[in-house]
Amino acid sequence: MSAPIVGFAGLTHLGLVSAVAVAAKGFHVVGYDSDADLVRGIAEGRLPVLEPGLDDLARRYGAQLTFTDRVGDLSACDLVYIATDVPTDDRGQSELSGISALIEAVIPVLGPSALLCVLCQVPPGFTRKLPFDPVRLYYQVETLVFGRAVERAVKPERFIVGCAYPTRPLPATYAAVLGAFECPILPMRYESAELAKIAINCCLVASVSVANTLADLSERIGADWHEIVPALRLDRRIGPHSYLIPGLGIAGGNLERDLATVQWLAEATGSEASVIAAFIENSRVRRDWVLRLIHREVLPHKANPTFGILGLAYKENTHSTKNSPSLALIADLQSWPIRVYDPAVPAASLHHPAVIAAPSAIEAARDSDALLIMTPWPQFRTLSPADLASVMRGRAIVDPFCVLDADVLRAAGLSYFTLGAPPLRGAKDV
Amino acid sequence: MIDHQTNVRQRSARAVVIGANGFVGGAIAQQLRNDSLPVLGITRNDVDLLQANAAKKLAGLLRTDDAVVFVSAIAPARNAATLMQNLVMAEQVIAALAAQPVAHLVYISSDAVYADAANPVTERSCRQPSTMHGMMHAARELMLKAEAKGPLAILRASLLYGARDPHNGYGPNRFRRLAAKGEPITLFGEGEEQRDHVFIDDVARLVSLVLAHRSRGELNVATGRSASFREVAELAAKSSGKSVEIRGTPRQNPITHRHFDITACLKAFPQFRYTPLREGLEHAARESAGVL
Repeated sequence: MSAPIVGFAGLTHLGLVSAVAVAAKGFHVVGYDSDADLVRGIAEGRLPVLEPGLDDLARRYGAQLTFTDRVGDLSACDLVYIATDVPTDDRGQSELSGISALIEAVIPVLGPSALLCVLCQVPPGFTRKLPFDPVRLYYQVETLVFGRAVERAVKPERFIVGCAYPTRPLPATYAAVLGAFECPILPMRYESAELAKIAINCCLVASVSVANTLADLSERIGADWHEIVPALRLDRRIGPHSYLIPGLGIAGGNLERDLATVQWLAEATGSEASVIAAFIENSRVRRDWVLRLIHREVLPHKANPTFGILGLAYKENTHSTKNSPSLALIADLQSWPIRVYDPAVPAASLHHPAVIAAPSAIEAARDSDALLIMTPWPQFRTLSPADLASVMRGRAIVDPFCVLDADVLRAAGLSYFTLGAPPLRGAKDV
Repeated sequence: MIDHQTNVRQRSARAVVIGANGFVGGAIAQQLRNDSLPVLGITRNDVDLLQANAAKKLAGLLRTDDAVVFVSAIAPARNAATLMQNLVMAEQVIAALAAQPVAHLVYISSDAVYADAANPVTERSCRQPSTMHGMMHAARELMLKAEAKGPLAILRASLLYGARDPHNGYGPNRFRRLAAKGEPITLFGEGEEQRDHVFIDDVARLVSLVLAHRSRGELNVATGRSASFREVAELAAKSSGKSVEIRGTPRQNPITHRHFDITACLKAFPQFRYTPLREGLEHAARESAGVL
């Protein structure tokens, strides 16, 4: 058997990263998108997404990658992934018209033995309803993590594959592609695979919700959650990679989507799922942690403060701002001037009556009464506490994600506020 | 949650306070007068909401461009009779507003509408009153939402205190009065229970902001910082300037606390600051002593 040719329909974040990862395993890949400008840009090396390592990998395996805006070019493929991003609305529900239209366009051009595999986040029941030969139809769980997408696509932990007939062996072409990644393959029925994706995210949210809850308690009783986390990670029942870092609520769209899906499935089927509502409420409360802190620690002492804000993206190493805590905070800081810097997201797009787009992190901190580090970009770790202390007007550093060293900041006369630990006050005038 | 129909403060043509003679209504009317708003304070002498002609009489006093603050209640509603009377009063107000719509309606409710287990309380907390008083406010809220036309804001107040409060229940008012007389303050247990006590002027200032922004929706009136009854007693004693004994007693009931998450208020009125408990108690003490 010659090496299969693999197609990816939909060149958004998921499709592009997945296509490059398959090419890196030695397969010829055809990437299709109906957006001719997008395809031209990608073919010329201008990738529309920011992911560490993606540009390098795409360059290195460029000879195996073909990009096209002609859907008919997918006819040469043995396996075609439907890999478009599925957007969500304000309630976290998937907007499926885009993926449905894409599948409708792709099916007619597929060869008679070609396989079709849905790689997008779809609600349980979606794949089985598709008008395609079930023997050749698969659903594969994607576990894209913004900012770590390449690493996870090249070295996946396992493949979860939804099938019409889970007990039958996978077709040789599909098995060859997945086998190249040298990880466990778990075939199961479509609905199980579709729910497995949701289950993964629910488990992650559960862990983070526990971390959020106990981190909040830590702040109030003088404990430090970060001292507790290593102890938890050494517990085999919890695990070394568990999500135990507290945050500012769920963001990015995908976790919210899965929680919303469980809620409506539970409502439709009469299943008890109140814990999901608790996760959502926990997330909502956490989102405003910085706002509450500002009102408690800064505003009582400074009537008209200026805030320096580092980070707009919802997490580091991405330009995505979907449900970004930083943007949510800025919406509630309309009464005060802000100085903003993000390495990937321009501040010019912000809706704020008194925003200054700073050219660097230290310039965002300049003359600020409080510095709010809303996204843990790696480059913020290099900020010198002494420099911050010299350029800032006030003393408060609000660093939810522990980007900076609390003790060094305190030694520089700054006050430090982070998730999961009591405040460290280095000066009186915070 | 509460949202504003206008982000720029605007003056109401006239504010009408139904229940202007009471502790809460009086403070609100005074605040609005301080804001230089024309205020029509309606008392039971003007319109007795338990009388059959109340709706017609009240409608005759209202104008289309009025902002109405509905405070009047027989409080606390302790039994079925007072519960029903309070509902009749609300029914009359709704009938009046149907006959004479107004520009804006604000209802002063209570945190008693929330489930006892709600903690910390937010505007999203489950409304599941366990008392007649809570049920009264919950029912009135529902009646107003269902039938009152136009923008409606509901303010759910936590425990209020101030010099003019006629009630003398367990808490800041009683403690302050005892302290002023140099008499001992007796706590339930050691006074461990934590509650969120709100200075009366803060309610009035929030109503002023709600009117100015034509706000609608639901907002809790709570400081976000709960204090134990012992702490309140100690502050009351201190603000009296007298040596006051604070006595604990054997605990009869389990300790319960109530805390509020006031994020919604921080978002709606970012410049608003609640009066710290110490300041509020000192203010009330000075006012009671006739210093203010």
